[in-house]
Amino acid sequence: MVGTPVLLVVIPLLAAFLIPLLGMIWKELVRIIPGLVLLYMFILSATLLNQVLHTGPIVEVIAGWRPPLGINLVFSPFSGFLVTLMTFIGLMVWIYSYRFKQNVDFEPAKKYFILLMMLVTGSVGIVLTGDIFNLFVFIEIVGISAYALTAFYTERNSAEAAFKYLFMGALASTFLLLAIMIIYTQLGTLNMADIASKMPEMNTTYKITALVFLLTAIGIEAEMFPLNGWAADAYTESPGPIGAAFAGIVAKAGVYAMVRIIFTMFDVDGTMQFMLYIGLITLIVAETTALRQDRLKRMLAYSSIGQMGLIMVAFGIGTAEGVFAALFLMFNHAIIKPLLFFSGSYLVYNSKDKFIHETNGMGKHIPITSILFALGAFAIVGLPPFAGFWSKLSILTAAADENMIIIIALILIVSIIELVYYLRVVNRIYFFKMAEGVEPKKPTLNALFVMVTLGVIILLVGFYPDAITGVLHKASGDLLDKTKYIQDVLLLNP
Amino acid sequence: MDESLFKYIEFSIYGASILLILIGLYGALVKKSLIKIVIGLSIVDAGVHLIFVAMGYIRGGTAPIFSPGFENDASRMVDPIPQALVLTAIVIGFAVTAVALSLVIRLYKHHDTLRIDEIKNLKW
Repeated sequence: MVGTPVLLVVIPLLAAFLIPLLGMIWKELVRIIPGLVLLYMFILSATLLNQVLHTGPIVEVIAGWRPPLGINLVFSPFSGFLVTLMTFIGLMVWIYSYRFKQNVDFEPAKKYFILLMMLVTGSVGIVLTGDIFNLFVFIEIVGISAYALTAFYTERNSAEAAFKYLFMGALASTFLLLAIMIIYTQLGTLNMADIASKMPEMNTTYKITALVFLLTAIGIEAEMFPLNGWAADAYTESPGPIGAAFAGIVAKAGVYAMVRIIFTMFDVDGTMQFMLYIGLITLIVAETTALRQDRLKRMLAYSSIGQMGLIMVAFGIGTAEGVFAALFLMFNHAIIKPLLFFSGSYLVYNSKDKFIHETNGMGKHIPITSILFALGAFAIVGLPPFAGFWSKLSILTAAADENMIIIIALILIVSIIELVYYLRVVNRIYFFKMAEGVEPKKPTLNALFVMVTLGVIILLVGFYPDAITGVLHKASGDLLDKTKYIQDVLLLNP
Repeated sequence: MDESLFKYIEFSIYGASILLILIGLYGALVKKSLIKIVIGLSIVDAGVHLIFVAMGYIRGGTAPIFSPGFENDASRMVDPIPQALVLTAIVIGFAVTAVALSLVIRLYKHHDTLRIDEIKNLKW
């Protein structure tokens, strides 16, 4: 036993506030501490995940107030899987950005790592919490650190992107608070399991109002169309590794909250269809927009939004296979998209505007980065034998089982669009001549290590999907079993 | 206080908070000045906080504290949970407003204007 789930929230939060103090003792601690914390969190959550896969969920009661009165954390196979994934991506982001601003200044690095720790705290908290007001607080922690991280570079248009994000986020938090108020006045409880068990008593009008408010609020974090206007700007204007953190950590937490609300808390007919259609619209709009982009990071951002749409489609199918496919997509997206962001930022490192045509001929000068970008591009499109192939296959079979022919057709058409715009970049990297005066930037050792690790995972999962499918099946079974969630939390044995 | 007066006060509080929410949304969504947008967002927040606290009130309620003379008054106490939640929400709203205003300062330095329709470097 290395610890309990509460440490996954407390330790990074404590570290975030200790970083400036420790930085006074020795400046290098500012860089080292986040890495140690993230490594500990990853080991802890992996150990706990291994444990809950065999023994069932861990429900942790905070401050001795048992649910439904107090706040509780639920480390189930589903949430544990996501926490492990998120802490792993956090660790990768830390290794990648270890030398961030090292030669420039001490002050920005300090702020960067404080905010990164806050971002991880909030995202892990969203996934673990079993209390809806606690969820609100964690969403705000993620929000505030994400606004600040988006506005990190003063010389870019970052303040504009951050203000857009903040505007959406502030409205979202208002709606979330209204929804919490409706639920509390109707059911007299804030505990998610208790809400789920009392939900049939609630008047349908109130129920639907609360659900609409909740989905509006969380759809912003989960990049649901049409609430994702902030996402592309935030991904583009934030520092490179933070784009990866948004895709791998924050968006995953948003989808988790959405799924927890739809699958566990509410029992309204038609929410699944809503998720299916809104996911499809998100997918189609984002991918066609990605096709029109001429800047690399914007293209990656829209592709990321499209992937979130695909995940929503998979959840919206609603069957066990659909949920399994959604989790597989989440895993792949969390591994592949950071790889694309990491390698992509080296492809356009010294360019001001980050245009796609500035990647011309990079294949000869930075071969490893280029081949890893190509690997990521092929994997996310879903070409065999890479990891993305199996998740695309599983969503298609899940849809086929439900006879959703139109949805299969749309997913395939969108995949072709995806293939077109990724191949366009790969084509430029390898078969175009480099323009005059472009200085390719050699990746640092840390960056290379991170990119190669992610690339190896993509290949491993591509060749041996069984390595991950066992965990995913247990996690999807855990999500769909609503009665067990309620029992685990409410009938807790002391 | 008689029944009708209480009802009157109750509904005027709900009405006032809904009005605050609408005024705030108007400010945030229609106004072009960044400062006014931030003010609008704060007003929406205030409206939600007010309606939330009002929901927890019961007629003739006392403060939810077990003090001498009030040992057996649990049934007459107002619901403390909305108050605790709103207190948290106020602090969060304060932090968001602070970040928003600092972003407005940055935007003003960058663009020399506070009008949102003149700041459009980022578009779809």
